[in-house]
Amino acid sequence: MSQFAEPMDRLIEALRKLPGIGAKTAQRLAFYILRSSAAEAEELADAVRQLKARLRLCSSCNNITDIDPCVYCSSATRSRRSICVVEEPGNIAVIEKTRSYNGLYHVLHGALSPLNGVGPEDLRAGSLVGRVQRGGVEEVILATNPTVEGEATAVYLAGLLHSLPIRVTRIATGVPAGSDIEYADEVTLARAMEGRRDI
Amino acid sequence: MIQHHAEAVVLRSWPIHEADQIISLFTRDMGKIKGVAKSAAKSRRRFGGALEPTTYVRARYTERPKQELVRLDSFEIIRSPLSAPVDYGRAAALAFFVEILEETLPDHDPQDDIFRLLIAVLEQTRVDSIWMPVTYFALWITRLLGWLPDLSRCSVCGERLAGSSSYFDAAFDGLFCERHSPGAGHGSVDGAAGALSRRAVLSADSLALAVRIFRTPASALVSEAWPRSRAADLRRFAVQSLERHLERRLTTAVALLRLGGA
Ligand SMILES: [Zn+2]
Ligand SMILES: [Zn+2]
Repeated sequence: MSQFAEPMDRLIEALRKLPGIGAKTAQRLAFYILRSSAAEAEELADAVRQLKARLRLCSSCNNITDIDPCVYCSSATRSRRSICVVEEPGNIAVIEKTRSYNGLYHVLHGALSPLNGVGPEDLRAGSLVGRVQRGGVEEVILATNPTVEGEATAVYLAGLLHSLPIRVTRIATGVPAGSDIEYADEVTLARAMEGRRDI
Repeated sequence: MIQHHAEAVVLRSWPIHEADQIISLFTRDMGKIKGVAKSAAKSRRRFGGALEPTTYVRARYTERPKQELVRLDSFEIIRSPLSAPVDYGRAAALAFFVEILEETLPDHDPQDDIFRLLIAVLEQTRVDSIWMPVTYFALWITRLLGWLPDLSRCSVCGERLAGSSSYFDAAFDGLFCERHSPGAGHGSVDGAAGALSRRAVLSADSLALAVRIFRTPASALVSEAWPRSRAADLRRFAVQSLERHLERRLTTAVALLRLGGA
């Protein structure tokens, strides 16, 4: 027998499914929503509904978007000569913040993950090859994570793109800016050495 | 508060809260434990790339009174899976080791022989060499968990199996001579005949290889040619034994199967 009324239980259960939210936090959030005004609660409910109703995947790059093609794919000022491949839509915002890239993107929605049953056929990779084959692309930048799964994904994609007349590059990894190399682990430092450049 | 300083292998990690990570860690001194790495994502200084699964580390951690999770203080990398090239096959082999250990190792129970097995196969798993360590691990872990039947004799009649083909089946423990193999009819282990059987054949060569694997360190086998077809029947036998005891399919075995070698 629950200690709360049914609508309260229902909301707590729904909130508990969110990442990083435990039973206590879910209860706290539910009580906050209960105490807030009807307008505030409706605003939250509507935002959730609109998110699902209006957002979709870009038919070209798989980015999450409310217009299709997405803002990057339909932009007149972005270069169409390069495609930067990322694991998650959220990675795009991080790269955009650097202001050092003005090309297009391709979102895989994951990486090869044998432990989670994600194999090559589950990646959104075929459409990437299709985009390159349609022409105009000179470089594909593989910006998957520098983890075992991200590396395996990059190597797999490089293999798929191998026969096409383009440059395929992997982002460099190394010592974080503003840190001390004394604290970098050997793997990171070894990669930083591999990725060194002339100055 | 008890402080530990021990060799360990990272099995898995999950993010919690904003920047903390929960790590499942196979330690040499305490067996499998779970610990929390506070602000690991931000604190490169203490953990660097050491939280990647299958990283072999020297770990400092602290047991806390009445707490299930230990506090992870720092990791020093002994060997990282990222020090060598990675592809899907190598990633699948590494994930295979992790999945089996996560599913089978009890918490807080030191298993030095399994630890040494893991270190040995991690060292031999390379992009051009996955089938030897996968076979070696699958067979040895089945034995170390106590799930390996006697490979020398038919489980029904005791007839010696060396030198000829033997038979196995996902549903039954053991290896069988032809007469007692599942589906062979009256007198067979399932007492049934024919078409429904899923029995598989273990070649005489693969059986002999199994005997060698139990007498030879992994490092001594790596110089031999191991195409994916070599001992695929032996891998299937070991994986089926594991899956029968776990009562579920191994996700990573499916990945290895898709690579054509399980
Ligand atoms: Zn797009
Ligand atoms: Zn027999």
